[in-house]
Amino acid sequence: MGGLFPNIKRDVVFPLIGVIVLFVAVVAGALLYQSILGGAAERLVTLMLINAILVIGMQIYVGNTGVLSFGHIGFGAIAGYTFAVFAISPAEKLKRIPDAPFGLAEVDMNPWLALVIAVVVTLGFALLVGIGLARSGAESGAVAATVITLALLFVTHEVARNWPDLTGGDRAGLSFRIGGALDTRVPVYLALFCSLLVARLYAQSRSGRLAAAAREDNLAARAMGVNPLVQQMVALLISVAVVAVGASLRVYENGSILPDNLFFDLTLVTLVMLIVGGRNSVTGALVGVVVMTAGRELARRLGQEGFEVFGIGLDGAPLDWVFRENLQTVFLGVSMLVFMIWRPSGLLDDWELDEWLYARFGKSPSVKPDPLAELADNTGPALQASGIDVVFGGFQALKGAGLTAETGEIIGIIGPNGAGKTTFVNVITGMVKPTAGSFAIGDIDLTTKPPFELARSGIARTFQNLRLFSALTVRENVEASALIAKEHRRGHAVPNVDAIIAEAGLWDHRDRRARELDYGNSRRLELARAAATAPSFLLLDEPTSGMSNSESLEMIEQVRHMAATVGAAVIVIDHDLGFITGISDRIYVFDQGQVIADGTPAEVQADERVRAAYLGSAGG
Amino acid sequence: MTELLQNLIDGLGRGSIYALLALGVAVIFGVMHLLNFAHGEMITVSGYAAYWAFQQGWSWWIVVPLILVVSVLTSLAIDQVAFRRVRGADDFTLLLTSFGVHFVVFSLFLLYVSASVKNFSRPGWVTDTYKVGSLRIEVFDTVVIGVTIITLLLVSLLLQRTMFGLALRAAAADFDTARLMGVRSDNVIRGAFGLSGLLAGIAGVFWLMRAGQTTPSAGLDPMLKGVLAALIGGLGSLRGAVLGGLALGMAEVLLRSRLPDSIAGLTEGVVFLLIALLFIFRPGGFVSVAHAERV
Repeated sequence: MGGLFPNIKRDVVFPLIGVIVLFVAVVAGALLYQSILGGAAERLVTLMLINAILVIGMQIYVGNTGVLSFGHIGFGAIAGYTFAVFAISPAEKLKRIPDAPFGLAEVDMNPWLALVIAVVVTLGFALLVGIGLARSGAESGAVAATVITLALLFVTHEVARNWPDLTGGDRAGLSFRIGGALDTRVPVYLALFCSLLVARLYAQSRSGRLAAAAREDNLAARAMGVNPLVQQMVALLISVAVVAVGASLRVYENGSILPDNLFFDLTLVTLVMLIVGGRNSVTGALVGVVVMTAGRELARRLGQEGFEVFGIGLDGAPLDWVFRENLQTVFLGVSMLVFMIWRPSGLLDDWELDEWLYARFGKSPSVKPDPLAELADNTGPALQASGIDVVFGGFQALKGAGLTAETGEIIGIIGPNGAGKTTFVNVITGMVKPTAGSFAIGDIDLTTKPPFELARSGIARTFQNLRLFSALTVRENVEASALIAKEHRRGHAVPNVDAIIAEAGLWDHRDRRARELDYGNSRRLELARAAATAPSFLLLDEPTSGMSNSESLEMIEQVRHMAATVGAAVIVIDHDLGFITGISDRIYVFDQGQVIADGTPAEVQADERVRAAYLGSAGG
Repeated sequence: MTELLQNLIDGLGRGSIYALLALGVAVIFGVMHLLNFAHGEMITVSGYAAYWAFQQGWSWWIVVPLILVVSVLTSLAIDQVAFRRVRGADDFTLLLTSFGVHFVVFSLFLLYVSASVKNFSRPGWVTDTYKVGSLRIEVFDTVVIGVTIITLLLVSLLLQRTMFGLALRAAAADFDTARLMGVRSDNVIRGAFGLSGLLAGIAGVFWLMRAGQTTPSAGLDPMLKGVLAALIGGLGSLRGAVLGGLALGMAEVLLRSRLPDSIAGLTEGVVFLLIALLFIFRPGGFVSVAHAERV
């Protein structure tokens, strides 16, 4: 558990309490409504609870990864048909689908076992689709992912329509019995409770936190050692399992399934519920389901009965042009549009009931941690790069560049704009593949490794143009790094999250969102987040750009101290000669893609070529 | 051989309409990075306008320009009401906004007209054919192909020779830089919606002539074709969109005539599947939607 959830009280106990509260509130409200309106409302309530399961399932994927999926109801269709084919009695099946393949028409199975099979089969499809999504480079907002999931929805629908031997086809479909087959609501309650719990636990888990980090900034997450594709796959599988249960229950409740039951309309309804409530929050998704169900029901009644629903009964009322049949469809479309335009993050954004409870009642008053001790013993293999060439189109950005960094050193890289400094860092962190040359830590060649593996090998970086996980808090930003360090940097000094935050001077801001920080603090958070991965080599791309002189001096001290506490060598890029000579043990001077000089600050400053190139082209 | 040739000609006719639709989708994607799921709504609205016009006893001679005007106005109106308010939003929001527009238009017709199909008369020559050697060629396809060629020539003149065209191409090539260079983004985007509406209108004329009917969800099918074709062509690319449209038309005709009858209904699914596979195996290659990462 400790590995899966960073903080048991915050990530398991409170979510459980929160889910119980939410569940009880929704069910109690629904039962109250039902007892007032009687039997007519019963089906509406059951359907709402089942829709809630579907929407929570979608939230697990869409919320945590930021990838918009139109395909979850397609997965639902796969589950629904699998469930129906296994669970419907042979007598009924021999009437509808006597020629079903694999002798499925004769299978006689308990519906709950059929549900398990439906989930397993659907997960198999999810695995395939997930691999496809990963290959397409799915990330937050990716168009390719949306198209692939939309394709899934359409393909399942067409297969269902055109394979009557298995699905009963377009008209007849498959059915248990008229009027619904679900006699008790207990399975729905159970499934809803479990999906809420699974959704909250996943979001708080290691995988959920890393997925959310990648959602906020895919590149920065990879640079810290997260493999977003793995976390997205985990999110997809869990999410599809929940949707599969929801869809099977829906089929069971309906008592029948037709291709159009689990297609575009349901996709729209569930997506609107998710968006309106807030896709980044489980509480929000549930609220969205309740609000949209209530709104649609009201719109439907108003559409059918006009004002009479309030017992006023205005004949020829001036609002007759609004209160018409199908008003609920307008309500859906308008809700989607209105929320997208004015509140795209939904009613609750990423607010969670249990997080609020934890902040109020659960948190022990935290004490600012003591400054970290610098590591006394700090030795390890050196980072060596040599002969690095990079060509962009016809432009050679690097020509045989190289560098050696020993543990504990602070190396400065300096050069005028366009000298290839950032490109060099991009090569060392795997973001640009060199056309020639290699780099290694000790004997381990790393030249072809992807960014996340390099980060796990101990190379961390910051970004010149700030790439924080902006919707996450300061603490969550650093915590995501620490999760990587705990798993992949065993044997290294893994620093305490709170201590790193305090060290970076962000203690008073620890619960603020990264996007609310001012510029200087954002830079400090970049540094803290990189240091929390327990790197052996910390690459800083212009860490003081845009800072005042006094801030820069303070930053130099922070860098020095933080590197010493995690035992990392620092490679720092800047174009400010004064700053670099002040901080570095050794300096590499880049010009036009080449290293033109290296040595101690004094040696470099005395070098003729450096003076010519540097003072000449950058003006000082 | 003859059959193949026949298929190619049929595919060209069908593909021309898709090319016009895809070009409209690509233009919008270029200027605001929006995959427009509401691109079919111009056809829905002009379909009802055509229905209304026929009720008044008007002929196709008046209805054709009416469709074009209504389509352009619809496109501009959709931008004014919805997309203008989400300029610069993330892709997720943009995509769902267009999805929302589609459903609002759909549901308004559902509410105020009805769910039932509204029929109007097709022009008599739509089903006429003539023979060239052993090939049977539809008069309709000939007209479609001819009009499409003229339209594409005019559009390419517009893109190559006018300031608006330059701005539009610049925006399509690199939206952020174009804006930095002083391209008046709002005017360009509005112009792009006008152009996209006109292209959808021309496609819509043919679509409605052939269908002879309209429903609240009539726009869904042309929207999907346009979006799929634009995807095949590599979303940002205008030339790609045209080729994508032709390719989609050909593929559909070929699949429909070659697939065994029992699975002929799957044509759309197969096309969708192929596109998904394209995305999976050639991400950012044939289909160039991936953004360049800037570090």
